[in-house]
Amino acid sequence: MMSSIATSGLDLSIQRHTLANGLRVVLHRDSTLPLVTVNLWYHVGSKNERPGRTGFAHLFEHMLFQGSQHVPIHDHFRLIQQVGGVVNGSTWYDRTNYYETLPAHHLELGLWLESDRMGFLLPAITQEKLDTQRDVVMNERRQRVDNQPYGRAGERLHELLYPDDHPYHWPVIGYMEDIAAATLEDVRTFFQTYYTPNNAVLTLAGDFDLDDALRKVETWFGEIPSGPPVPPVSAPLPPLGGEKREVIADDVRLPRIYLAFRAPAYGQRLWYAADLLSTVLSGGKSSRLYQDLVYDRQIAQEVGAYISPYEEVATFMVIATARPGVPVETLERAVLEHLDRAASEPVAAEELERSRNRMLTDYFSGLQKLDNRADLFSQLTTYFDDPGRVEEEAALYLELTPADLMDYAARYFAATERVVVPVVPKEEG
Amino acid sequence: MATAVLDRFALPPAGKIRPFHFPPFLRRRLPNGLEVLASRQDGVPLISVEMVVPAGAQHDPEGKAGLATLTASVIDEGTRRRNSLEIAAQIEQLGGYLTTGADWDEGYFATGLLSKHRRAGLELIAEVLNEPTFPEHEVERLRKQRLTEILRRRHDPAALAEEKLNEVIYQGTVFANPLIGTAESTQALGRSALVDFYERHYTRDGAALIAVGDLDPEELLREAEALFGEVKAPSRPAPEIRPTRLDGVSIHIIDRPGAPQTELRLGHAGVARPDPDYIPLILVNTLLGGKFTSRINMNLRERHAYTYGASTRFVARRGPGPFIVDAAVATESAGAATAEVLFELRKIREEPMEVQELEETRSYIIGVFPYTFQTIGEVAKRLETLAVHGLPDDYYDRYLEQLASLTREGLLEVARRHIHPDHIAVVAVGPADALTPQFEGMGEIRVWPRPA
Repeated sequence: MMSSIATSGLDLSIQRHTLANGLRVVLHRDSTLPLVTVNLWYHVGSKNERPGRTGFAHLFEHMLFQGSQHVPIHDHFRLIQQVGGVVNGSTWYDRTNYYETLPAHHLELGLWLESDRMGFLLPAITQEKLDTQRDVVMNERRQRVDNQPYGRAGERLHELLYPDDHPYHWPVIGYMEDIAAATLEDVRTFFQTYYTPNNAVLTLAGDFDLDDALRKVETWFGEIPSGPPVPPVSAPLPPLGGEKREVIADDVRLPRIYLAFRAPAYGQRLWYAADLLSTVLSGGKSSRLYQDLVYDRQIAQEVGAYISPYEEVATFMVIATARPGVPVETLERAVLEHLDRAASEPVAAEELERSRNRMLTDYFSGLQKLDNRADLFSQLTTYFDDPGRVEEEAALYLELTPADLMDYAARYFAATERVVVPVVPKEEG
Repeated sequence: MATAVLDRFALPPAGKIRPFHFPPFLRRRLPNGLEVLASRQDGVPLISVEMVVPAGAQHDPEGKAGLATLTASVIDEGTRRRNSLEIAAQIEQLGGYLTTGADWDEGYFATGLLSKHRRAGLELIAEVLNEPTFPEHEVERLRKQRLTEILRRRHDPAALAEEKLNEVIYQGTVFANPLIGTAESTQALGRSALVDFYERHYTRDGAALIAVGDLDPEELLREAEALFGEVKAPSRPAPEIRPTRLDGVSIHIIDRPGAPQTELRLGHAGVARPDPDYIPLILVNTLLGGKFTSRINMNLRERHAYTYGASTRFVARRGPGPFIVDAAVATESAGAATAEVLFELRKIREEPMEVQELEETRSYIIGVFPYTFQTIGEVAKRLETLAVHGLPDDYYDRYLEQLASLTREGLLEVARRHIHPDHIAVVAVGPADALTPQFEGMGEIRVWPRPA
C-alpha cells in the first residue's frame, strides 16, 4: 500500500532565487492550463501584535486592497477581475498572504499590482479608507465570531491554552475595542516594520517562461529597498500545570465540548504524528471517534480532531457536538477515553495505513490546484526556507510508525495540560 | 547606464494569449437510457467518478419533505453483501471517499479514488446503487441525526433566514420546504417510504455516469455497460413547479433578541436552468452582486461599510430556483442596507448598464473560465451539468460565444424579465425591537418568533 502513494504523479519541480533586496522568489512551471498564480507571503501575522492592539495584522490586510501610489482605490480588484483573475488574501497567526490567479498572459499585471503595494503603499492610505475598513472588519468579526453559534469557543480555548503575553493568546481577527482603536500611525509603522522584501516570499506557479518571469520579477520588485531585520517574537511557554476549564453559555440548542492540548510546532516530527493521529481519530467513517461516538453509541452528532501548522507551537483540538439529551460530561468522558487509549496502546498497522492513504490522497488532491500549490511553496519557504520540502513532507508521513503517534499522545495528552470548554445552551430569558 | 525608467502608472502590457478549449470527452447513451461521459485528464493518479440519478427532492411527495435526501443518505449504509462500516472500509482501502446525497434535481454518488482502483470503485458504486438494503437501524439512526440537525438550525441565523425566504417565496410548492425536511415530515419518514422512493426514482434511464482522470474513456464505457447496463423502468418526468408572483414587498423579521448582527436576505423565484435567459442572467447577476467589484458589494461594503460582504445569485435548478440577495449587516443598518439593495435592483432594470462595466464583467466571466478546470472534480462537475440539463456537447464553446454577443439593450430586457424589486420578500433575522422601526413604510411587516 505504501508505495502506491509515494509518487503523487505531479511534477513539483521548482527554481528558487533571492533578489538583492532579500525577496525570495520561487518559480514553478506547469503549462497544463493557460493560468498563472502570483502568491506573496509576508512573514507577519497576529503574533506580531501586542495585547491592546489585536486584530491589526488582519485590518492591515484589508488596507492593502485600497490602492497604492500608482493604483487607484478599488483598482486592485477591478483590474484583476476584468481580465478573468481570481484574487484574495488572508491573515493568520504567523503570516499574511495575498494571491491572484490570472490568465497566463497577464502575469505582469499581478507583478505590477503586488510590487506597487509592497513598495508604494503609504502615499495612498487615508483616514477615510481606514474608517471604512475598520467598520467592514467589525462586521466581519460579528459575522464570523459573535453572531455565529459556538463562535466564541475557539477563541476562548486559545486564551486559556496560552498565557496572556503569548502571541497565540488572542484571536487573529482581534477584539472589537482594539479594532476600533487602530490609527493611521499604526498603519505606517506596521508597513515599515513588516512589509519589506526581506520579510516576504513570492511564488509564481503556472504557464510562463522561467527566465522571462524572473526578469519581470526583478524589474518590478528589484528596486524596492530592503528594510531592517524584523523584530523577533518572543514566545516563552511554561507548562499549563493544571487543567483549565470554562463553561460558555451560548445561544445554541446542542451542547458541544471543545478540548485542546498543545503540540510541537509545525515542521517537527511529532507535529506530523499528531496530524496523522487526528485522522486516525476522526477522518472518515472508519475513524475511532466517529465509529464509537457517532455511529455506535450515537451520543454525538459529529466529532472532529484537528491540528494546524503553527510556527511557534501547535494546538491539537477535539470538538464534539452532543445529541439532544446527552450530557456534555458523557461526551467529554468518551473523547478522553480515546485520547488515553491513543497514549497507551499503538495504533494497528492496518488502521495507520488507512489513515495515511486518506491523508496523502487529500494532500495531493489539493495540490491539483495551482493556487494551493503556490501557497504551499510559499509556506514552506516562509517557515523553513525550503520550498522543496513538499516531497519531504510526504516522505515524513510515510515514515511515521504507530510508536510515533503513541509518543505524541503520551507526551502531550496529560490531564494537567488540557483545556476544556463546554458550550451549553443559555437559559432562555 | 541606459536603464529604462519603469513607468509604474502604466498598466503593463499583456503577453500572448493562449487559447483554452473544453477538454475532449466521450459521451454515449446506453440502450437502457444511462448516459456515460468520460474524459482523460493526466496529472494525478486519481479519478473522480460520479453517478447522478433523477431522484432529486423535486420528487418529494406532499407531507414527505426530506424523503429524497434521506433516501440518498441511507443508500450507502448497507447492501446485500456489506454493512455500513464494511462499505466505508472498502472505499478507504481504495484510497478514496464515497459520498451520497440529493439536491433538488438529482440523487448523486460521488467518489474520488486512486486510478489503479478504478474497477473496484465502479463495482462498489454499482453494488450500492443496485443492491441497497436500507437496514431498519440505519434508517432510524440517520433519521435521528437529521432531527438533531433540524434542531441545530433553529439557532443558526443564516439557516433560519434562508428557510424563511424559501417558505415565503415558494408557498404551496415543493421548493418551500428545506431540502432536509422539517421536524414534522422527518418524524413521519420510515424505511418503507425510502424503499418506495428508491424503487420509483433510482432508474438507469435519465441517469448519468461521469468519470474523469487518469483513465481510458473507451474502457470505462465497456465497464459501465457491464455494471450499469441492466434495463429498468423508465424515469418519471420532473414535476412542474410554478411559484406565484409575490404580492408587493413583504418583510419578515425573525426575532433573536440581543443578537449582535442581522442576517439579511431578499429574494423571489428566479429562472429555470434550461431557460434561454439563464446565460445572459449570469452576466447581469455577476455585475449586480456576483463578484467583489459588483454594484451591490461596492455599495454596501465599500461605500457604506454596512457589511463584510453582500452578494446575489440565481440558483440553478431544473425548476425555477430562487434569486437571492445575501448579507450579514450591522443591525442598526438593516433598513438602510435593504433600501440600497432595492435601489440597485431597480436601477439594473431601469437603465442600461454602463459600457465599461459591461465589458469588464464580460471579460471577467470569459477570462475566469479556464480557472474552473483545474481539478478532475471540477471537470466532472461540468460534464454533470451537460448530462443533468440535457445540454449539447459544444455547450461550453457556445456559452463563451453567447457571452461575447450580449448587448446592453438585450441585458436590460433580461433584467426586466427576471428581477422584481416590487415583488420581493425581505427576511431579517435579528432583534425585532431594533429592526421593526427601520422597515416602516417599506412593505407589510411580520414578526416571527424563532421556532422553538
